Amino acid sequence: MNSSIATPSTRGLLEVSGLCKAFGGVKAVDGFSFDAKPGEIVGIIGPNGAGKTTVFNLVTGVYTPDSGSVRLDGVELSGWRQDVIAREGIGRTFQNIRLFKGLSVLENVMTASDPYAPYNFLSAILSMPAKRAADRQATGQAREYLDLVGLGGMEEARPESLPYGLQRKLELARALAIRPKVILLDEPAAGLNPSEVREFIDLVRRLHERFNFTIVFIEHRMEVVMNLSHKLFVLSFGKLLASGEPEMVRRDPAVIEAYIGDEE
Amino acid sequence: MDYIYSILTLTGITMIGVMGTYMVTGLTGQFSFGQAAFMAVGGYVSAMLTLRFNLPFPVVVLAGSVAATLTGLLVGMPTIRLRRDYISLVTFGFGEAIISVLNNSAQLTGGAEGLVGIPKRVDLLLVAVSVICCLFLVACYKNSKFGRQCLALRTDELAARSMGIDVNRMKLVTFLFASAITGYAGVLYAFYSQYLEPGYYNWTVSAEWLIIVFVGGINSLTGAMVSSVILTGLPELLRFASAWRILIYCIIVLLIINYRPNGIFGDWEISRLWKKRRAVLGGRA
Repeated sequence: MNSSIATPSTRGLLEVSGLCKAFGGVKAVDGFSFDAKPGEIVGIIGPNGAGKTTVFNLVTGVYTPDSGSVRLDGVELSGWRQDVIAREGIGRTFQNIRLFKGLSVLENVMTASDPYAPYNFLSAILSMPAKRAADRQATGQAREYLDLVGLGGMEEARPESLPYGLQRKLELARALAIRPKVILLDEPAAGLNPSEVREFIDLVRRLHERFNFTIVFIEHRMEVVMNLSHKLFVLSFGKLLASGEPEMVRRDPAVIEAYIGDEE
Repeated sequence: MDYIYSILTLTGITMIGVMGTYMVTGLTGQFSFGQAAFMAVGGYVSAMLTLRFNLPFPVVVLAGSVAATLTGLLVGMPTIRLRRDYISLVTFGFGEAIISVLNNSAQLTGGAEGLVGIPKRVDLLLVAVSVICCLFLVACYKNSKFGRQCLALRTDELAARSMGIDVNRMKLVTFLFASAITGYAGVLYAFYSQYLEPGYYNWTVSAEWLIIVFVGGINSLTGAMVSSVILTGLPELLRFASAWRILIYCIIVLLIINYRPNGIFGDWEISRLWKKRRAVLGGRA
């Protein structure tokens, strides 16, 4: 297994502390902290507009935090460029699926290995053996990821032609393919029907058992949250409201109030 | 015969120019309204080197393409970070600036009177071979990690970055490659027509190339090539209609865009024919 298992359990793989971000006068995220240990599945929940997606965007470098720190494996990432953070080992999916429409299903997953592909411009335009070998290997790997999520046999399809549930799986495969240390899933079960949700939970479990990576996810569906997460963080108006084990958090009066207050 | 020969040659040169536009617009989604200016740079640099220093043809070919690439670097470096619409403005301005420079440095370039006395070094055969070679290079580029990353960032820059793709670098590399290819088209044109004038390279040429790419299918190199042939040949075929031909041309373009908004070919590529066959034969090896 990887070396991070050997480090003391107090240290997280992903450590986010004191994260702040304001848009104009609105403090979208206000001193939020959370952490995920190696192999842990962490859920972030909160009422609508609590700033959950903003937290993901801050961690992945879409926005630069006003203050606070994001550390992956001890390396400070805040202020880094988005693509550098991704290559450092943070993969993500999006709440509104964002697949590459100009590419086939297979090519969508291949883009994960393309930034590392070991050939240069010249061998690309001349289609030299090194390029073809590298692309063959990348194709093989991408196929494996597609098989894993159950998209085998659909390599040449166009992503926009897939049913919604499969698009979610494709996005997951694509994020997995960058071999992230931490994967961030933004409402991965949104728009799925109940049977797809159960299937999705099984899929995440299976993948987690196989790769033992760290997952941080945002979710509204209690079924997913309670089934998957080892630990929960509750975000409300940009602040950390509660954290801890799922069952405990669920009974927390402050959490219940925040949620009920949110409903009409 | 000479007439057909010259149309074919000019169509071939246009095809190479369109390849440049295809890369910038089709692959990375930028709008270059100054693409023809790279053709001017390639043409003028190579022609002037020949006229003044009498350098051998292969050397000036290289020099013309390199000069266009360096110009691409000069324009691309500061603009590639800009939003798409601003890039159109900057490349447009740059293209017009190049023409202005060519017009106003008459001692060097012959100004508006043009540059005359360029030896004829290009014939249909060389153009045909060039089209095939350039097409090979561009098709390989599209089908490599570069092409995939470009197409990814074209549909969704944010998602592309989240996959670790260095968006600005990819755009710049593609822009430079496109400049080199367009510069080469410029060299071919200079040594075919034996006469250069700045007016030939204004933005209408760049716009025409964009139209060709859109009519052919924004995501299809095959489409861009087929529509270059159709749309450069069309005005010639319509010559009998004299004054009406521009109108007929416009109507045909409008009809295509209207009924096939993704262009004639959409994202279909001819290479899919044998890819599919190989997939059937080879299974999932």
